[in-house]
Amino acid sequence: MSSLTRTITICNKLGLHARAAARFVQLASRFESEIRLTRGSREANGKSIMGVMMLAAGKGTELALIIEGNDAEEAMAELVGMVENRFGESE
Amino acid sequence: MTLALHGLGVSRGIAIGAVHLLKRDAPEPTERGIEADEIETEVERLRAAVAAASDQIRSVLTRIPADAPGDIGAFLDAHLMMLNDAAFTGEPVRLIRERACNAEWALALQRDALMRVFSAMEDPYLRTRQDDVRHVVERILRVLSGAAPVAHDKEGENLHGLVIVAEDLTPADTVQLQQAGIAAFAIEHGGPTAHTAILARSLGIPAIVGLPNLRRLLRDGETIVIDGTAGVLIALADEALLRYYRERKRQERRYQTELIQLREAESLTLDGIAVELQANIELTADFASVRRVGARGVGLYRTEFLYMNRTTPPSEEEQFETYVGIFREMDGVPVTIRTVDLGADKLNLNWQRTSASAVNPALGLRGLRLCLHEPELLIAQLRAILRASAFGPLRMMVPMISTLQELRQFMAHLEEVRKELRREECEFDESMPIGGMIEVPAAALCADTFAAALDFLSIGTNDLIQYTMAIDRDNEEVSYLYDPINPGVLRLIDYVLQAGIRHATPVAMCGEMAGDTRYVRLLLAMGLRSFSVHPAALLEVKRVIRRTSLESLASFGARTRLLESCAEVRDLLSELEAL
Repeated sequence: MSSLTRTITICNKLGLHARAAARFVQLASRFESEIRLTRGSREANGKSIMGVMMLAAGKGTELALIIEGNDAEEAMAELVGMVENRFGESE
Repeated sequence: MTLALHGLGVSRGIAIGAVHLLKRDAPEPTERGIEADEIETEVERLRAAVAAASDQIRSVLTRIPADAPGDIGAFLDAHLMMLNDAAFTGEPVRLIRERACNAEWALALQRDALMRVFSAMEDPYLRTRQDDVRHVVERILRVLSGAAPVAHDKEGENLHGLVIVAEDLTPADTVQLQQAGIAAFAIEHGGPTAHTAILARSLGIPAIVGLPNLRRLLRDGETIVIDGTAGVLIALADEALLRYYRERKRQERRYQTELIQLREAESLTLDGIAVELQANIELTADFASVRRVGARGVGLYRTEFLYMNRTTPPSEEEQFETYVGIFREMDGVPVTIRTVDLGADKLNLNWQRTSASAVNPALGLRGLRLCLHEPELLIAQLRAILRASAFGPLRMMVPMISTLQELRQFMAHLEEVRKELRREECEFDESMPIGGMIEVPAAALCADTFAAALDFLSIGTNDLIQYTMAIDRDNEEVSYLYDPINPGVLRLIDYVLQAGIRHATPVAMCGEMAGDTRYVRLLLAMGLRSFSVHPAALLEVKRVIRRTSLESLASFGARTRLLESCAEVRDLLSELEAL
């Protein structure tokens, strides 16, 4: 059981909009670990699309990604990769 | 008096039909108190409605055409996930219990609370995501009110032949309306790249977007004309105008029928010369459209999609499986695979050591340059392609060659991989043809060198034009210079074609220019005998080839070299068209 925290920066042009949030949540939901995103004092369950969308994370927003559980390391690598890869969007 | 409204034609074609005004909004809920013993029934009613709304979206998902862009599905997935989020399944239930109110009212309260959060967002794009909330809630409310999934007035209403007029349509609405038989649609919102516009093209429904106040100008049931090609909507047309459009529609239908009949026809000129005509493939999903037009070969199989949306590059094994799969999908027709043309702009992956900060990625580390810089990337792909060559007729081509030195380095890697495979006693086609893309002007000017060194060449016009004209296609201030018929571009193309003829090295063209019917005769006159085009353009190009006699073009080839301006080229194109 491990607990990891990383700061991520949203770098796709449109930010964490509906489709990007959907991709994030779909990937997050594949892991057992508890996954949370925080922006300042606001916090969202990383497996809830509405929660992720309501963080209002536009391009350039910094978020803390907090993952706790048995598969935390793998989840962190994949989720960070997806964010850095701009959710597969071209810009 | 006839009324003509100009919008943006986003999907071609003409339709004449009665207006069907869509009132998107479901009836606005009002609060209704319920008895304590009704609360669980009301909760159940809400849950059943959410489940039914999810089923509707799932059923739309299964009906998305195979060639629709991948993000249409992602868009609907997002709505499906929203429907099943605690925000819609949990909070409204709590509200029903707490306030002893009807499900509709609980949903409306939750919707308004969510919309307030979104409308307070600073980012304008994220702010408009309140539309997603509204769409999702409306879908549930429609189920609760017993209305049809899309704003038809009656459940299962036949919309055959009607022209839908609405404020906006979601992609899901568009698919459902097409299934109900609509002839066309016109909406107040939207731009050319909106999902609904892209979907209309995939579904083949004529469509116009960006017509503000449209619903106030039209009456339910009146006959209108939609010219999706020109982006014009005509109301109150007189008989003469209607006759004109009926005739246009008939011509269009004849043209479409003629195209479909060409599916099996040979790609031959009037004087019996065979012209190679193949299809470009960008995504695995394109196979269906390629089969639909009966392509006899794949002239450009792009491999970039394999590398996208992931954190590690595809393994040799995964690539091998994908490449061998092409023969299965395409019934063994010849396939030309292009080694990966990734640019530092396309990706920012942690396995890729290149900098994504290049100001102008088109001029940066991309294509062959990137592959030579990241040899392990190239070697895995070369091994996969060579191994796949044992299973069907395969050719390989290299993008973005600029210098002979680069090509030699590439060939050295290829030779190494061949040796390795021989050592491993792994079967491959020893004589698999190797070709190169000509898209850098320096390579075009050295076409002789490359024609001698390679088995075939393929002209990539999109990049060749942008590099020749020194313009960035995405820069609106200079994009007017992006013109395939610029004499400078034509002379380079001519030079490459002539080098191919001198060296008896086949030269193909796989850029957008090859699939534009306006240029087919010009390119034939210049000596091009191999076209690789977007599947949607294949039959139209075949039609022009079959209506052209090469003999009649004989004098035109030399004339193209003397042209000095785009205007002169256009005059020549008119002459060619009149032949």
